[in-house]
Amino acid sequence: MAGIAQVAKEQPIIAPLIGFRPKLFLGSLLTGLLVGVLFYSWGYQIVNDIGVAGINRPVFWGFYITNFVFWIGISHAGTLISAILRVTQAEWRRPVTRCAEAITAFALMIGGLFPLIHLGRPWLAWYMVPIPTGRGIWPNFRSPLMWDIMAITTYLLGSLLYLFLPLVPDMAILRDRAAKENPRSIKTLFFTALALGWRGTPQQWHSLEAGIRAMAVIIIPVAVSVHTIVSWDFAMAVAPMWHSTIFGPYFVVGAIYSGIAVLMVAMYLLRRGLHLEEYLSDKVFNNLGLLFVAFALMWGYFTFAEHLTVWYGHEHAEINVFNERISGDFSVFFWTMIVVNTIIPLAILPFPWGRKPLATAVVGIGVMLGMWIERYLIVVGTLSFPRLDFNVGTYSASWVEMGILIGSIGLFGFLYFTFVQIAPIVSLWEVREGEHIQHRRTQPTSQSMPVQAVSAGEEARA
Amino acid sequence: MSTLHAAFATPDDARRALRILGADGVPASAIEVRSSVPLEHDLHAIGDKVTSKVHWMAVLGAFLGGFALFSLVKFTSEAYPLPTGGMPIVSLPPAGVITFEGVAIGAILCTVGTVLYECGLPGRKSLGPLDQHLAEDHILVSVECEEGAPEAWAANALETERV
Repeated sequence: MAGIAQVAKEQPIIAPLIGFRPKLFLGSLLTGLLVGVLFYSWGYQIVNDIGVAGINRPVFWGFYITNFVFWIGISHAGTLISAILRVTQAEWRRPVTRCAEAITAFALMIGGLFPLIHLGRPWLAWYMVPIPTGRGIWPNFRSPLMWDIMAITTYLLGSLLYLFLPLVPDMAILRDRAAKENPRSIKTLFFTALALGWRGTPQQWHSLEAGIRAMAVIIIPVAVSVHTIVSWDFAMAVAPMWHSTIFGPYFVVGAIYSGIAVLMVAMYLLRRGLHLEEYLSDKVFNNLGLLFVAFALMWGYFTFAEHLTVWYGHEHAEINVFNERISGDFSVFFWTMIVVNTIIPLAILPFPWGRKPLATAVVGIGVMLGMWIERYLIVVGTLSFPRLDFNVGTYSASWVEMGILIGSIGLFGFLYFTFVQIAPIVSLWEVREGEHIQHRRTQPTSQSMPVQAVSAGEEARA
Repeated sequence: MSTLHAAFATPDDARRALRILGADGVPASAIEVRSSVPLEHDLHAIGDKVTSKVHWMAVLGAFLGGFALFSLVKFTSEAYPLPTGGMPIVSLPPAGVITFEGVAIGAILCTVGTVLYECGLPGRKSLGPLDQHLAEDHILVSVECEEGAPEAWAANALETERV
């Protein structure tokens, strides 16, 4: 006999953790091959030096920085959305938070790889760590690149802990479950280690919930600061179409927008692949779809405002970059971005049928493509047409850069597939808690009185 | 002395058992309630108040983290002063950005540290005899009592075990 929660219903979440799932294995295998492409390409670059990449004067930032901004943007899917939903106590958040938080953690790890890849000689990255070198030189904290290091490190650490804290009670549930079947199995030992000895006492629950609430409040400004600081990597320079005061909010909105897109696609695949229709329901897609519409509108507004001021100002260097986007070499990219990021989402998502799982996933794929193109336009579009006209140049990505881009997508998939097989992708205890709250609301008020309120023994026995 | 463990199917059953224990005068320190979901709002152990200092520790951590990173920026700027053309060696806007991250990282680390401390994690206490019931969303009530003490409170339990 189960408790309030319908434990049998949890089977689709737990099944990948306890048994062999051919679909997940195949997914891990295919994405694992792409991870091989990533490390082969990166290894090739390390051995033959950075010259094998397409970056050259004047486009010194190419695919690598584009990918860096793209992945950091995607990382805003999880922790930020999850934190906002927790702070606002949105009940429908419960099945979504874990799969969103995992996206953040993995996207940040991959985003953080790209500055190392771009460095060419990754073993010199320690120069950014605040310890003096042999000559007593410290990192220069005036550089936005140092701000990046600090912000991304903080966000990564915060996101990993924010993912791990609510995972502990779930690991305890899995430990107790596995111990019942085989107390000495590897799975039992694994879950026991990650459960950290969790017992589920009132004190533990109280502290954990207080901690999660505090983390949610702290992580929101951190997430905003991360992409604001990434935008300042560009905006602090006087390069055309970079030196903009709205770059901070523009980047943050774009980041959350791309994050929601990835979340939509991930949720659709999880729902289909693991049969999680009970949890990742149409209602969840509908609610996130409404958020998606809001961000499509905001992103469209920021893009319009950004381009309108450049066009109206008509400053020589800026209008060159602008014209190349609107009708020049980059126009195909620009108009594709506009179509997939605004026209298609705004034609589909406002309607109830457009917020069904498949429709939102299709729109999400388009927005992911569009947001990558946006980053490419910002990075390569501007650097190809710098302020000094004689320095105009072109850029085309080499196979090494292509391999690393494709490999990074594979790495994300591989990490996600692995995570689904070692941790519940839907938070068991949070969903159970939701059911208990629902149950309590339907009970007479006397049932929810604390025990201290009852004084007489006779009354209690009655 | 021994401990009687009882597993209850619902919070209502567990609440009933706790009322009986309270009426029988069993002290709160002898009772332990455990669940796979947070039930503290409607399932207090008798007289057992749970508190947390997480929020205060987060504020303290924020101060410490901010102070530490501002100090790092100030120290490193002065330790290897760059030519600034008469501008301050310690530039406040960049120091503000780094200090903000320090505030956040300090608050995060102190929050997590306090949660682990208050929860007694990582803990080595061995699993109880009925812990598998927690996986099934049941509620466990354990009471330290003498052999032969009244067990009426556990009458509605799914399973009991004395250890």
